[in-house]
Amino acid sequence: MITFSSPYSLVNQRGADADADEDVYMNDDEASEVGNVKITSPGESITSSRAFMRGHGTYVDCDEVVASVAGIIERVNKLVTVRALRTRYNPEVGDLVIGRITEVQPRRWKVDANARQDAVLMLSSVNLPGGVQRRKLESDELQMRNFFEEGDLLVAEVQAFFADGAMSLHTRSLKYGKLRNGQLVSVPPVLIRRLKSHFCTLPSGVDLILGLNGYIWISKHVPENEKEGEEGFDAEAVYSNQNDDIDDATRTAIAQISNIIRVLASRSVPITDAIVLDAYEWVIEHDSDVKELLLEDAADALIAAVTMKKELAEQY
Amino acid sequence: MAFKTLSKSEKSYIQTSLQAPSPLRADGRSIHQFRAITLQTGVVPIANGSAQLNLGRSSDESMGGTEVLAAARLEVEDIGVDAGGGGGRVVCAVSCSPAAYSYLSAAALDDLQHDYSAVLNDVLSHASLRPPNLGIIPSRKAWLLTLDLMILSDAGNVYDALFMAARAVLWDTRVPRTRAIEYRPDKREGGKGGGDEMDVDSEPHSGLDTRRSKAPAIDFELEDHWDDGAVLGGREAWPVSVTLNLFPGVHFLDATTQEEAATPLRLVLIFSFPTRSPAALHGMHLLGTGDTDLAQIESLVKDGEKYALEIYTALNAKLKDEELRRTEKVRLKFSAAR
Repeated sequence: MITFSSPYSLVNQRGADADADEDVYMNDDEASEVGNVKITSPGESITSSRAFMRGHGTYVDCDEVVASVAGIIERVNKLVTVRALRTRYNPEVGDLVIGRITEVQPRRWKVDANARQDAVLMLSSVNLPGGVQRRKLESDELQMRNFFEEGDLLVAEVQAFFADGAMSLHTRSLKYGKLRNGQLVSVPPVLIRRLKSHFCTLPSGVDLILGLNGYIWISKHVPENEKEGEEGFDAEAVYSNQNDDIDDATRTAIAQISNIIRVLASRSVPITDAIVLDAYEWVIEHDSDVKELLLEDAADALIAAVTMKKELAEQY
Repeated sequence: MAFKTLSKSEKSYIQTSLQAPSPLRADGRSIHQFRAITLQTGVVPIANGSAQLNLGRSSDESMGGTEVLAAARLEVEDIGVDAGGGGGRVVCAVSCSPAAYSYLSAAALDDLQHDYSAVLNDVLSHASLRPPNLGIIPSRKAWLLTLDLMILSDAGNVYDALFMAARAVLWDTRVPRTRAIEYRPDKREGGKGGGDEMDVDSEPHSGLDTRRSKAPAIDFELEDHWDDGAVLGGREAWPVSVTLNLFPGVHFLDATTQEEAATPLRLVLIFSFPTRSPAALHGMHLLGTGDTDLAQIESLVKDGEKYALEIYTALNAKLKDEELRRTEKVRLKFSAAR
């Protein structure tokens, strides 16, 4: 039941030795190149500072522009920047994010959205009970915790930025709002691609919301026609903290999909609705148990199957 | 990812999942199943014993899981005559990396560190577990074993991880071999009286006698030996802990941070399994705001002992493996050098 193993460094020591030749080969180039993308690591000199300007992720040392983070080199005219691979979420207007309320302040909520600063959700950018056109009242300010309180999860869109770079969110759409009936999985934000829609429905009654900030919400499917507030906007339901009844099969599916996403993220596979769907189909096909995915072999097999399918699809 | 709070719906989702007729956890584990644990000893070269433990990370992820780095350091300490039992002390200190608890203020972090340290200290420095070979010179000098544990990241079940890491370190700790030195004034020198010739060629006699003797020793020296020293006496007895997360009618093990936040009451049980004697309960802590009754505790302690024995057996097997691996490594190094 309880197993101990050795850390990765030990297990793969033999593998690391085999890579030694490859390293020598890599050192021939100034920076490693994969396709058209130039990857660099901290301390690596990129170019001369006489000809180029240093941007984010770099510093100047002895007339050389040196990378300070591991990532991808980008150049705009004379400006050289390094975009870090492992980083917090860089918001852009229109992005769909999932956040958690950290603080209730006068007329605004502070939201943790995995970015460098907490995001802000203004009271004026949420749907208030009693219709979209309604003006906000003083009484709304007094009952802000009835809408969102500390710890609540919500899905929102990035509306604008403040002068200090913090993002302002809005939930003025019936698609957005408080989240319930499910669980959250967190992955590195770079793994989430921009998609046509970040709301996906998977078979076996599971909804998936892929937040661009790396938070993914997996929940029980709510049929389109039963969504709250179609016409009359039922505030009671939209801001409810109560979960619906969820049957065991759905819970199992939710656990299954969160494990799939964890496995994909641990192998740095970009997460899209198609990949998750492929992986889920593979898991169902192989009829594996939920917790089996946590084992190395099953996870490796899953990754191999999914990436192969993707490559085949790209060929045709 | 740091969790200050869970939303009410998340909390109730976790609670209902666990209390369902067929309990299911967020990652599909059964309720009495631990996450994968990785352990490596001898990670800090200058320490007398060290270990790094990760609870809940599969081996090819670079982050995640509860990570504890622990090391033991032996220092010589002057002790008074009244120190009984040969002397020697074990002192534990837990520090939490601010990176692991980025949402806590400095004061809250101090509190947390103090809480962890107090629990570990209560158990591990207790006289009943004191290793017999920490004394150097009776009622004069003894080893002070300082056990430092650092929580590098927290993904739940910190107590179990801390005790497992502590046990691994104490298992790994080697006490340097010492030899007592006695001072005996040279009587021959004094008896000679006023000889006028210079005896330059005479063998220099040291007043220090390094032979093993029963006479009261005044100091000690380190023996030059091929290994690092002896293992701590009675190292089989170092305890392991098991945290039972309690819901009415059901309990589960190895909670993640989210599950901990949704659990009203947690019971930490610390067991040791000395060879040839029954298991001993070394400590018990109730954490959380819920309540329970005494009758329930009794059955929980029985269950806890069963789980703790499982952890103990698995950990022992791993520690023996680690010892083998490291002696093998040393052997290879030597044969390569020759």
